[in-house]
Amino acid sequence: MSLFLRSLLLSFCLICFAVEVSSAHAATVVIVSSERSPAYVSAAEAVISELERNGVSRYDVLQLTADEWSTAGPLAPKLFVALGSAAASALAKSVTAAPVLCTLLPRSSYERILQASGRKSSSQFSALYLDQPLSRQLELIRLALPEVHRIGVLWGPESQSQASALKTLAHARGLELVEASVGPDALLFPGLKGVLDSAEVLLAMADPQVYNSGSIQNILLASFRAKVPMVAFSPAYVRAGALLALHVTPTQLGQQAGAIGWGVLQNKAMSASPLYSRDFSVAVNEYVARSLGLTLDGAALRERLLRREGSP
Amino acid sequence: MKSLDIRGRLILAALLPVTLIAVMLAGVFLMVRFVDVDEAQHQRSRSLARQLANASEYGLFAGNVAYLQTIASGALREPDVSSVVILNAEGRILARAGQPSYTTPWSLTRLETERFDAAKRTNLLSQPIMANQVRLDDLFEPLQTTGDTQAPLLGNVLVEFSNEARRKREREILLTGILITLGGLLFGGFVAMQLGRGVLQPILRVSSLIERIGQGEFSARATVLPDDPLRDLQNGLNLMAQRLESGREELEQRVATATFALREKKEEAETATLAKSRFLAAASHDLRQPTHALGLFVARLAQLPHDAQTRHLIESLDASVQAMQDLLDGLLDVSRLDAQAVQVQLRPFALTDIFEQLRSGLALTAQDKGIRLRFRPTSVWLMSDPTLIHRILLNLVANALKYTVQGSVLVACRVGEDAQHVRIEVRDSGIGVAPEHQQSIFKEFYQVGNSERNRSKGLGLGLNIVDRTVQLLGYRLQFFSRLGVGTRFSLQVPLVTPGADVDQGNPFRPLAEENINGLVVLAVEDDPLASEGLVSLLESWGCLVGVSDGLHAARRLLDNGLQPSVIVSDYRLRDGENGIETIRQLCAHAGWSIPACLMSGDTDPALMLAAKRAGHTLLHKPVRPAKLRNLLRRLALDSQATGVRLV
Repeated sequence: MSLFLRSLLLSFCLICFAVEVSSAHAATVVIVSSERSPAYVSAAEAVISELERNGVSRYDVLQLTADEWSTAGPLAPKLFVALGSAAASALAKSVTAAPVLCTLLPRSSYERILQASGRKSSSQFSALYLDQPLSRQLELIRLALPEVHRIGVLWGPESQSQASALKTLAHARGLELVEASVGPDALLFPGLKGVLDSAEVLLAMADPQVYNSGSIQNILLASFRAKVPMVAFSPAYVRAGALLALHVTPTQLGQQAGAIGWGVLQNKAMSASPLYSRDFSVAVNEYVARSLGLTLDGAALRERLLRREGSP
Repeated sequence: MKSLDIRGRLILAALLPVTLIAVMLAGVFLMVRFVDVDEAQHQRSRSLARQLANASEYGLFAGNVAYLQTIASGALREPDVSSVVILNAEGRILARAGQPSYTTPWSLTRLETERFDAAKRTNLLSQPIMANQVRLDDLFEPLQTTGDTQAPLLGNVLVEFSNEARRKREREILLTGILITLGGLLFGGFVAMQLGRGVLQPILRVSSLIERIGQGEFSARATVLPDDPLRDLQNGLNLMAQRLESGREELEQRVATATFALREKKEEAETATLAKSRFLAAASHDLRQPTHALGLFVARLAQLPHDAQTRHLIESLDASVQAMQDLLDGLLDVSRLDAQAVQVQLRPFALTDIFEQLRSGLALTAQDKGIRLRFRPTSVWLMSDPTLIHRILLNLVANALKYTVQGSVLVACRVGEDAQHVRIEVRDSGIGVAPEHQQSIFKEFYQVGNSERNRSKGLGLGLNIVDRTVQLLGYRLQFFSRLGVGTRFSLQVPLVTPGADVDQGNPFRPLAEENINGLVVLAVEDDPLASEGLVSLLESWGCLVGVSDGLHAARRLLDNGLQPSVIVSDYRLRDGENGIETIRQLCAHAGWSIPACLMSGDTDPALMLAAKRAGHTLLHKPVRPAKLRNLLRRLALDSQATGVRLV
């Protein structure tokens, strides 16, 4: 290709980019996704659908990835929606006039981002957590496994902070916690063995130091051998062999984020404190359930849980 | 290298490709099998190691040493596993089964490694034990999005494999391969031989056919089969044999025709020769009678007193008659040799006797020509036929005298170097024989320098007689001659110690000059002239002669009181009578055996044989008066011995 043609192509690209950026100036809502994986796409789509349902044009919503965001020019929307930890981190580091709603990220990530950026959660920078409130998890255990009284928890460095809260909640419900902590470079098995020896159910808390793709198989294997079912926080764990998972889908999260965004556009301030999702799902591994002699229905459990929380 | 015959070549041609293919296939098969076995073993080792690693994962995660030990011991039950060691992430040995052949501590690895120990014939596989990665795709796991996190290394499993099992398997494969190859070779060879036989048999048939034709058996034909691969060749051979056969028959016919023609010619020639011989015989017979009579008359005439002029004439007449008689004698000799009537009678005799005979016979001729004839004295005795030796030397000396104008003729003998033979030489200082004539001088009637055929020089029979007589005796006659210098004939004759035998009846023994005066002779001769000549000669010798012309007349003479001491009879008489029969009848008539001699102009060998059988001496006409006189004298002595008295 000749140099002339190359330069021609380059100028064309630049013009196109300028047009894009100029249209972005007109956007009301900017959604920054950490990546374009299906979970993020469906979450973003849910946000847009919720806004559309309330009369916001699809063309008033700009979707960017975190990388695009870092190179984009100045934007003046009324709301930023950050999907995922990377997008939240990027928005946290930049100065934005509009409020930022971070969602599709676990509580531990959000707290790490706040710490890193020196921000505080406020109506200008708030979050909608991916993980489920501890109370709801305990409720689910009580619903699904009513005979269980001793709940085993394996704390890692990132989840350790929730230990006292869970203990309080458990005690309030008459449940006993069997806990063990795993240091950053310590072996997992001794702690796990201790927990599994006396607990009746293993409640997995989101902590990559403890639960990751490398460890999950052996943890599940150990719990299966100890005949201690695992209640996890993601459908992937159910697929890997956990009995139950209480989780929120990206769509559910996106819908709630869209509702919050609509409120912001209506000049309603965001909640200063981060929120847990209203809606949720319950995933069941029927094979594991059957092997344990249980019959569980995820949808029914969700309904019962929702009813117990008093929400429609 | 000895070249192979056709069978060997065919078998080689059939077997070589089979062998090559079998060996090649076996090679490929074995190679592939070895590679397969090697690969299978390799894969098996690796999969076993991976399996062990997988099985050990939870044990390592849980730190369950007993469990790990169970796994290791279980693996050791595999036939080719010699040791199993499971290390944890710190490199500590948690479980061990079997006795590892390595001693150095093992450094942990995240990769599959394989170490081959040729000396110990072991293969050491190290397999990392990692936590099984479960794909979570989880929003809760931010680490995952940041990049490729490595699964934690839990430890290593070290499995040591012995290669013995593989080697054993390879040996089995090799053996199987060799057996299959041999089987293939045998089968292929068998098939090749079967196929080759289909070609070989016709070739051998053709080859034997060609051999038979080559040996001249042209009637040999190949049986041509319809599926014969060499059908055309055999047809061609059959055609060739047929042509050869017909060609040979044609040739044989031609040869037969030619032979027949030749035989006819030969018979013609033989007939001609026979006719010539008959003519010669007849002519000589007819010549003999008058010559015989003439000789007798001249002998008688010479006994009468004459004046000098008449005596000279008579002497000339005598010489002419002598020459004519010599010629007839020569012809007689030739005819006798022709008829193979000459019998060799070997006996010992003194050569000097022959020399003496020759000297007395030829001295006069030499003297007349003024030539010195010398016989070197000798005392040797020979073992030969004295008659034939005499005839040979007589002819040679006569020949030498004939062709010598001046100088000398020498007859000598010399004992050979081996002391077994004696060489008799006749040398002359004559005209010699030119080289171009030397091959021809032994032919009949061949004469050098006698183109005018002067009969005083003879008929040219002498050397021919000599040559044939020498051949009859089986001797060797050598001949050297230089034109104008002289000629030398030499003859080798076997020697004998002197006095080996008493010489009896030597015809050449000089008889005592005894008188035959008064001998009663009965002459039977039908030819008037010959009869007259004979009677007058006998009477001139003082004999009492009774003459008759046949048996009848003779018998009458006997009846009239004639008592003959000797009968002299012609052989061929009038009215078909012959001398032998006449003599026999006369003897029978007389009542006692009268000594008799026959005279004949015939040279028929049968006659000679018959005369010999009857015990009569046969004189050939013309009879030399001296010879007749000698014979009569001897017969008279025989007669005296048998008691016949002389009248």
